[in-house]
Parts: sequence; structure tokens; C-alpha cells
Amino acid sequence: MRILLIEDDSVIADFITKGMKQAGFAIDHMEDGITGLHAALDGVYDLAIVDLMLPRLDGLKVIDRVREKKINIPIIVLSAKRTVDERVDGLQHGADDYLTKPFSFSELLARVEALLRRSSNTVEPTSVSIRDLTLDLLARTAERAGKKIDLQPKEFSLLEYLIRNAGHVVSKTMIMERVWDYNFDPGTNVVEARISKLREKIDKGFDLPLINTVRGLGYVINK
Amino acid sequence: MIRLPNTLAVRLTLWYASAFVFFLLVAFVIMYFFMNTVLNSRIDEDLEEDVEEFQLTFETNGLEGTNQEIDREVMAGDNVDKFLRLLDPTGKEIYSSSKTHWENLYTDIDVLSELNEPVLVDFKLESQEHTTRAIYGNIGPGVILHLGESLEEKEEIMEILLTVFAVMSLFVIPLAYGVGRFVAKRAVRGIEAVSQAAIDIEHGRFDHRVSVQGSGDEIETLANTFNTMAERIRSLIAEMREMIDNIAHDLRSPLGRIRAISESALSGTQNDRSDAKEFKKAASDTLEECDRLIQLINTTLDVAEAEAGVANNVTEDVNISELTEEACELFEPLAEEKEITVSPRLTPGCWLRGNKQNLQRMLVNLLDNAMKYTPTKGQVNIKLDRNDDEIQIEIADTGMGVPLPDQHRVFQRFFRCDQSRSQEGCGLGLSFARAVARTHGGDIDLASTPSEGSTFTIILPA
Repeated sequence: MRILLIEDDSVIADFITKGMKQAGFAIDHMEDGITGLHAALDGVYDLAIVDLMLPRLDGLKVIDRVREKKINIPIIVLSAKRTVDERVDGLQHGADDYLTKPFSFSELLARVEALLRRSSNTVEPTSVSIRDLTLDLLARTAERAGKKIDLQPKEFSLLEYLIRNAGHVVSKTMIMERVWDYNFDPGTNVVEARISKLREKIDKGFDLPLINTVRGLGYVINK
Repeated sequence: MIRLPNTLAVRLTLWYASAFVFFLLVAFVIMYFFMNTVLNSRIDEDLEEDVEEFQLTFETNGLEGTNQEIDREVMAGDNVDKFLRLLDPTGKEIYSSSKTHWENLYTDIDVLSELNEPVLVDFKLESQEHTTRAIYGNIGPGVILHLGESLEEKEEIMEILLTVFAVMSLFVIPLAYGVGRFVAKRAVRGIEAVSQAAIDIEHGRFDHRVSVQGSGDEIETLANTFNTMAERIRSLIAEMREMIDNIAHDLRSPLGRIRAISESALSGTQNDRSDAKEFKKAASDTLEECDRLIQLINTTLDVAEAEAGVANNVTEDVNISELTEEACELFEPLAEEKEITVSPRLTPGCWLRGNKQNLQRMLVNLLDNAMKYTPTKGQVNIKLDRNDDEIQIEIADTGMGVPLPDQHRVFQRFFRCDQSRSQEGCGLGLSFARAVARTHGGDIDLASTPSEGSTFTIILPA
């Protein structure tokens, strides 16, 4: 998988490049809108990450030109502006997702992977599992080592989200967004409380805990 | 030409004085013409009466008697202002009084030829200073009386009248200006007071107010409006100052912590392995502090946007009952941890038009607040009701409550009852909640008894 990054801030660019390489992606970095656009038009990339405020050519215009040429790679917009109008604007120009600076790398990575999964059109599975834990997505039941676990609907969704992202850290914000459909951080530790409740249900009585906390970033179920 | 300053006072004065003088002039002109007409008609009546008298004299005493009567008339008053003549219809003089003062006296032949009723004429002789009023009238067969009288007396009266007016004007015009100036000064005094107060405020004396006497006129309304505005400005500035202090504090503390973390990480000089561990911990601590800072800034902007009513103006039909239920559910595990009983009593199926995300956030903020300030084993009761065109949501906790003096301040940005600011949170949650309620056309109220609990009531138009 090859990613194109168009970003003029070198610190942010290095941070993304380093992270993406570690995550096993090939990534090319362009520093302005014009060179970025040329690279995007080459058509060798599977996904583009585009900053909005770019020298020489504005990010939204880059996206416009790319879409004009019928290049349908997924595009993630990065921006320091955070109003809803900006977000809607970006999406209307043909971007697939929008991330506000500052963001955590895990969040970007999760969004990149989600877009790549979506574009590769994988069939929705009927069950997900990690190690000895299995979720039946149709019956919405959970089992660990053959033992049925009683989960509330939100707990089930949370666990499903963690398992689908197994190996990747998911942030509290992402959990709020995907599991609760809240586009803001409620501030207090509602997610923490929910996680610790979930842990009690699935990890209690087992030697190996499944859900791990990554301080300052979020939570992860290791593969 | 003197240039007067173009102030309202000067303009008012000039208007007043001009109006005064104008009406005085109009009054005089009317009086002058009235006087003139009255005097003229009296003279005419006299002349006509004379003609009638002479008719009678001619009838009884004949031409000779009439001549004698003429002489008597002119002699009696030693009257040089008058002449009397008898004419035949061709204009030939039959008899005449003395013409010493009436040189070049002439006859209007045109008038004589078809004279039925007496005819009045004006003329001015070169030898005379004043106009003469004269009458031609038949007094007998073939005898016409030509009688004239100088208008000297009348014209002198009119002249006196003019002089009186001129002299009066000399006094009245300055008087009108003076009165006008006094009235104008009085009228603009209030405006000057307001303008002076505005200047003072501009120079930073925000507590300056215009004194109000209580007359209730327009100027006073202006003063009152101005004072209200000045008070609003003062409180906004005070609020803003407090807010800036609070922001500075809220920014400084996490920055101070970040600084401390980095410094202590750098100063650690143990072996490599423990250093690496130390660095990792420092980095993750820094990350947490940064997130807190970012969140603070974002929330500040969100509140500002929500208050201005510009953000998220996308509206949809929202099931507020469902939204409230979800929000309660979100806090369930937290409530269990603190052994707080959360009891929602929600009327299902209440809908309203609004911004879903902001309404969610309003509810979450209020619940979060309730959870935070309710002690272990406490209670949080949530009630949602719909009556007529209003949806009322009550969130009541059994927390420490808010002291009365702070009750109206809890919705202020960055306000926290706990002045040590040790509690988690940034003091923006309630401001945001209120801003959202207000942009939806509703409001939030707080009723609280210290050490018993607080009840927040949200009213939203359905």
C-alpha cells in the first residue's frame, strides 16, 4: 500500500511519515500543492493525506483537480480549522474523511486503515474473534473460551470496535465517535468507566487480559 | 461675517429667534393692513355722508344755500385739508371753496358723464404732501358735489405705527435670541451630560453614569438607555477580565506541568534503561497534558461559536427523549463506580427541531456536572416532560449545591465554584449547555440549596 502525503509543515510530515512506515506503509511526502497534485495524478497511490493550507495550490483545489481527472483514491483532509462548515466543505469537495489538527497518530492510522478497508470492498464478516474471544455479530452474543459472556448493547459495540481494530490503538475520541455517535469528548472518564466494566466481564478469571490501556493514547486489544 | 459654531444649541436658538421674529412680522403686517382698511372705510363713510347732507341742503335751500353751506363747512374748521366744489355734468365749476392749498385741482370728466351713485377716487397733487381721497356725487339736477379730503391724518397714524414697530423690533429681536438661547441650552444640557459621560467612558472610567432627575422626557430616556448600556459594558469587561485571568490560569497550569515533566526527564541521569523508561513516561504525560490543552482551546471556541449561534446551524428533527436516554446510559458505569443512583423518568417520543450534536453535548455536560458534584451513594434524577409547546428537562443531583452568590455565575465561562480549580474540568460545560439551549430558543435555570443539591432545568421550545 502506497500513501501520498501533501503537507507543508515538516514536523507534522515527519511525524506522519515515520508512523506510517512503522505501520508498514510506503509513503511519499510532497511539500506544496503543485508537486502534490502532480504526484497524485501519477495514479500510483492507494490513498492521499492532504493538508488544506498549502503553498502554491490550496488543498481543496488539489482535491478538485484530482477528482476532475477521475482519480478515485480515498483522500483524508488535515486541517487546523475545526468548524463544522469546514468539515462539510472538505467532504463536499470529494474528500472521504476529515481530521482536525492536532490529532493523534493512532487516530490518523485508524482512519487510513478504515478507508483502505472500505475501498478494498471486503465482505462484512458475520463474526469477529481475537484469541479465545468470539463475537457473533448476527446474534450479538459473546463467548470467551467457550463461556458465554453477558454484554450490554453498547459494551458489545465497544468490544466489536476494539476487536476490528485489534493491534491498533483506538483513542477515546474514536470510541465516542464510532460506538456512541458523539462527535465530541465528554470530558470525564465515561469511556474509562465503560472499559473497566467491560474488562471486568471479559478478563475476570483469565490470566491474560485482552484490553490494554496505552497511556495518553487510548486502548488496544493486542493480536 | 461671523461664523457661529454649528452646534445644536446654536441652531435651536436661531430657529427659535427666527420663528419668533417671523411671527411678530406677520402679526404686524396683518395689523397694519387691518388698520389701514378700517381708517380708509371710515373716511369713505364720512365722504358719502357729506354727499347725503348736501343733497338735503340743496333740496331745502337751493344752490345759494348750498354755496353758503360750503363756505361754512370750510371756514368752520379753518379747514385747509378739505375742498368742496359744485360742478355741472360737463365738468364746469359752479362754485368752489378756497383753492389756496389745492393748486392744479382737476376734474375727472369720464366719471362725471355717467354718474349715478357717488364715486370715490384717490389722487395726489404735486402741491400736496399726502394723498387725497375725493368723492363725486349728485346732489341735485345738474349739480355735482366734488368733495376731497387730505389723508394726512391717517397716513400719520400709519407712520407712527411703523415707528412703534421698528422701535419694538430693536428690543424684541435680541430678546427673542436670548430666550431662544436659554431654551436651547436647557434642551441640550441632557445631551451634553450624556456625551460627557461617553467621553469619560472612552477614557476608561467605566463607572461614570449620567445623573437622572426623573422628569421622564426623551433626553432622560436617552440617559437611562445610555446608563444601561454603560452598565452592560462594565459587566462585560469585568466578565472578560475574569475570563482572561481564568484562561491564563488554565493554560499556565498544564504548561507548567509539561515544563516540569520535560525538565525532570532531562535531568534524570541514571542508567540508559531506566532513562528510556523515564522518557517514555514523560512523553505520555506530556501527551495527556497537551490533549487537555487542546480540549480546553477547542471547547472555548465551541462555546464562543455556540453563543454566537454560528456553529452547527444544521438542524434536523431530534428525538430528545432518546437522546436523553442515551446520555443517561453513557454515565451508567460511572454511576455504578460511585454508587450513585441514576433515575431517569422520561416521557418517550418527544421531538424537537435542532442540532443533534449540540443537544447531545448539552445533556452530557449537565449529566457530567451532576455526576462530578454528587458524592458517593448520592442520587441523580432526570425528568423529561412535554407540556404544550415546551419540553422541560430536569437534572437534579444531591450534591453539595451552589452557594447563592455563585448561582448566577455558574453559567459564566471558566467559572468554577471550587476556587482552587483542583477539580477536573475546565468550567466551560455549563456555558456551552446554556449557549445551546439559548440558540434553540430556550434557556437553562439553576435552583440550588447548598449542601442539599442542585436542579438544572432546561426549557426548550418543541
